Amino acid sequence: MNGLKGVAAVIGVGESDYVGDHARVRAGEKPHDSNGYAAVAFKRAIEDAGISRDDIDGLIVGPTVAYERIGEVLGINPTWGGQQDAMLAVIEACMAIKSGLATCVALVYGNDQRSAAVQYGGPEAMGGNMFLSYVYHAPWGFTSQGSLYAMMFRRFSELTGCTERHLGEVAVAQRLAASLNPGALMRKPITLDDYMASPYICAPLHLFDYCLINDGGVALIVCEAEKAKRIAAKKPVAIHGVGRFDLNRGATSLEPRLLDFYRPAQEACAKQVYDMAGVGPEDMDAVQIYDSFSCHIPFALEGYGYCRSGDVGRFMAEEGIALGRKLPVNTGGGHLSHSYMQGWNHQVEAVRQVRGECGARQVEDCRFVHYNSDVAGKAVSIIYGV
Amino acid sequence: MAQSQAVAIHYDKRMWESIRNKRMELQCCDDCGSFHYPPGPTCPKCLSLSLSWKPLSGRGKIISWVVYHRQYFDDYPPPFNVVAVQLAEGPIIITNLVGPEPEGSWIDREVEIVYEPDVRGEPINRVRLVP
Repeated sequence: MNGLKGVAAVIGVGESDYVGDHARVRAGEKPHDSNGYAAVAFKRAIEDAGISRDDIDGLIVGPTVAYERIGEVLGINPTWGGQQDAMLAVIEACMAIKSGLATCVALVYGNDQRSAAVQYGGPEAMGGNMFLSYVYHAPWGFTSQGSLYAMMFRRFSELTGCTERHLGEVAVAQRLAASLNPGALMRKPITLDDYMASPYICAPLHLFDYCLINDGGVALIVCEAEKAKRIAAKKPVAIHGVGRFDLNRGATSLEPRLLDFYRPAQEACAKQVYDMAGVGPEDMDAVQIYDSFSCHIPFALEGYGYCRSGDVGRFMAEEGIALGRKLPVNTGGGHLSHSYMQGWNHQVEAVRQVRGECGARQVEDCRFVHYNSDVAGKAVSIIYGV
Repeated sequence: MAQSQAVAIHYDKRMWESIRNKRMELQCCDDCGSFHYPPGPTCPKCLSLSLSWKPLSGRGKIISWVVYHRQYFDDYPPPFNVVAVQLAEGPIIITNLVGPEPEGSWIDREVEIVYEPDVRGEPINRVRLVP
């Protein structure tokens, strides 16, 4: 199945000033609301692409802002519009382009979750209306998305021998990447001993296993491949393949999470994305993985064939997932140390790595970057490349 | 902060009544015989709309556990545990282990449902190790 192979390319990326805005929010200021962060990112993305707003004929907006209002704020009247999370926005843009409903699609996200004090656990847990498992078990004190992953990692750890110290490799590697990324929020390197000494939030997960909560915005410009070559200021970054597989059955009772670790979804998604792109895990120079919690990384490394099943603890410790080791993962610092933009900043990092724009954290001769996520059992995968 | 609240969508009401009566029931499919959790309008296995409430045996085994070190609800000061239990009838429920805790791994430990007062003094289902 060729599907969406090479149909579209990313020609522009933009992010808000995470570091400066975070300092202002912590000082009690409110630099922007979600729409404002989205607008900043959009302006930077079209500047990066070297195009004007009038080149845009599609608009897909992230989940925390309203499509109609963003369209109004940015002054875009598109032939195709929609609302999606980061990874599905990329796929929907490719589908709209393939079908001829749009040729150049802006993907725009903004989130003032820190300054607006959005809660991801407790009585006001966000997202519970979409995913019942986020709120259903509250009568037994079971709340917060972190605790769902703590429950999942505990069983995984007991069955596979991937220990807490093995898991600590994720936080340490991503902090190293962030230390080389001027746009990252948490830049002071940490050691495995620092990780082990950090407090538990919901054991077995430590503080350093949890993502940041910060304000910001991200935008990408996805353009039909031939048009991209004509209008873009920089060499377009191709979208070689996409994949998706959802595990909905038994979601609230956590069956796919606790019994299967989402593995069937990842394996089906992996087959789709690798077949479409015509490349496999051995061809990837870097991997970006949605990391609201560190344990997404070991689950994905096994699920997408980067190591043998049951071997990820050893793989992370001995072969390595840090810059300069066998498989660099989350090369900008990810959600743990760069910025929590719900998968959006991972797309930007993938594009910049393929472009070779990453300075001190650049992966040498980076040709292919694989993004994947498993949010609430929804496995999504995208392969970017030259 | 606030106290924990049950999600009591339409189909949950009967289950909560049974918990408050210390005899927890779940829906069982009249056509394929499978139990489900949480309650709902269909048998997700065979799509049957014909479901009957049946009491649980109360037996199960722990498949995973966590320990909270941060407070999210007034009625759950840390540290406290939460366990995922696979019931003898099949479904996985989330609850708390009361009484003695296992030494070493908690996985595959046999448990049984007990009813304890919640913060409002009403019975809620938790589990204890089977002696």
